[in-house]
Amino acid sequence: MVLLAHEVSPADQEILSNGGLWAYIYVGAKHMVTGYDHVLFLAGVVFYLKGFRDIVRFITVFTIGHSITLIGATYLGIKVNEHIIDAIIALSVLYKGFENLGGFEKKLKIKSPNLLMMVFIFGLIHGLGLSTRLQSFEVGTTQFLSKIISFNIGVELGQILALIPIVFIISKWQTKKSYDSFYKAANSYLIIAGIGLFIYQIYGYVNAH
Amino acid sequence: MKKIAIVLIVFILCSSHDMYLKMETYFLSPDTDATIQLYNGTFNKSENVIDRDRMQDASLVGNGVRTQVENAQWSEKDSITLLHFRTKDVGTWVAGVSTAPNNIELTAEDFNNYLEHDGVLDMLDQRRKNEQLDTDAVEKYAKHVKAIFQVGDEKTNDWQTKLGYPLEFIPLSNPYDLNTGDTLKVKLLRNGEPLADQLVYTDYKGTKNEHTHEQHVNNTASHDHEHTNGDTTEHTHSNNTDQPKKETHSHGNSEEHTHDHDAEEIEAHAHTSGDQLRTDSDGILNINLEADGIYYLRTIHLVNSQEEGLTHESNWATLTFEVTHGHGEDTHVHTHDEEGGIPSYVYWIGSFVLLGGLFFWFNRKK
Repeated sequence: MVLLAHEVSPADQEILSNGGLWAYIYVGAKHMVTGYDHVLFLAGVVFYLKGFRDIVRFITVFTIGHSITLIGATYLGIKVNEHIIDAIIALSVLYKGFENLGGFEKKLKIKSPNLLMMVFIFGLIHGLGLSTRLQSFEVGTTQFLSKIISFNIGVELGQILALIPIVFIISKWQTKKSYDSFYKAANSYLIIAGIGLFIYQIYGYVNAH
Repeated sequence: MKKIAIVLIVFILCSSHDMYLKMETYFLSPDTDATIQLYNGTFNKSENVIDRDRMQDASLVGNGVRTQVENAQWSEKDSITLLHFRTKDVGTWVAGVSTAPNNIELTAEDFNNYLEHDGVLDMLDQRRKNEQLDTDAVEKYAKHVKAIFQVGDEKTNDWQTKLGYPLEFIPLSNPYDLNTGDTLKVKLLRNGEPLADQLVYTDYKGTKNEHTHEQHVNNTASHDHEHTNGDTTEHTHSNNTDQPKKETHSHGNSEEHTHDHDAEEIEAHAHTSGDQLRTDSDGILNINLEADGIYYLRTIHLVNSQEEGLTHESNWATLTFEVTHGHGEDTHVHTHDEEGGIPSYVYWIGSFVLLGGLFFWFNRKK
């Protein structure tokens, strides 16, 4: 497996070619769990939140956002450049780390945008990235919508699987004295990772053209 | 009216299907399940499946052993016929399918259009010279397709296996010993003998992360229709090309011209994308492997027939294989899962080290 290459993995194509709708659920879940950019963004969102109800609210908005573009764009055959969309997703990771560290207030001297709205917008962008990924597979024409929806269900299951350890670690650490250092370290890491992933994708874009 | 005319022309042109054995990747691991797709249409789109009883031969060759594909190994998905198999030992493998001959009757106009748009230009010239352009045709045709793929690292000599098809491409060196930038010599055999002066079309579909970027990858839709007995002619065609509306290209007689989008719609239905080559007196072609990608060769050998009830006989052959960058003798063949990115473990280790370092730094600052 390679870092965010977002390649058509022959192994995944093999699974999709030989399996039914379950294969789409599996590949969707796998992509979400192993797609670092999506997981890092979710981690950034969860860091900011307080309480289970808050988490459910924000994750639901993110889910609605990415489901709209994942299903819509795939169904309509709308494709974007994979490197560009992944570069923008990388910026969403950077954004969340920056916001969590109070960057808007401290550095830009402005109030940070409404988080619920931003999570929805980034959800749409992440969905477009997921759609691009799905469209890079040979999906065929039969049960087309069912396959897209199955992939989307897999993404949601993968999202839940990824969130469980993240929420567990953050909630457990919140009671510790060192949480403040952990919070700063993790969000600084999100900024660095966001920049790194952005450069990686732009490099990929330039070298692919 | 113009659009209707174009649709009609495209409809008329639609009378043949190329056949290819295609793989998502031609680099496989030993002892894994794999699938080869049998496309009947163009390289980019399969239009219909192939019945097993049409196949005269379906073989896999590896480590010197030729194995017949069993009926149970085939399945169908949408318009694609799928061959499922388990890779066994390491080596360079060959897959082949040969179909039984079929006959097709074509009006003179349809036949001429098919010759032009499938690039059977020698026969078209012959008909022009002999003033036979208004003669209807009854053609017997059969298709013979091959794919060469690599299992594991070790190369074997199976790539040069002659499957004994009426028309067959045989590389003169192992494609998996070559890299992007190299030239591959391929011999074309007709009934086992070199076929000289035969038109062959070669093209490639670039793989991601290809290292040479003379973007000549032609992912255009091509014309798709069935060259069958005429009962089940299909006329689906698509055009998912990003090509500009005007384009300069050659039509084989070294004439170059530009044409507008309407003309291009028709042109997009030709099977002659890529390079047009001709075999030399020994039946050999030189193929420049100019970029990473899946290469495909196609040719139609069409001759006049003396057989009763026929005017022509054709044999169609294709060959596919994959070429990647920078595999020297010292390097290994790698699967695409390993290619083109930072390994996950490097990312995870780096991330934990960075996160840990940041944590201790912020903790000390307190």
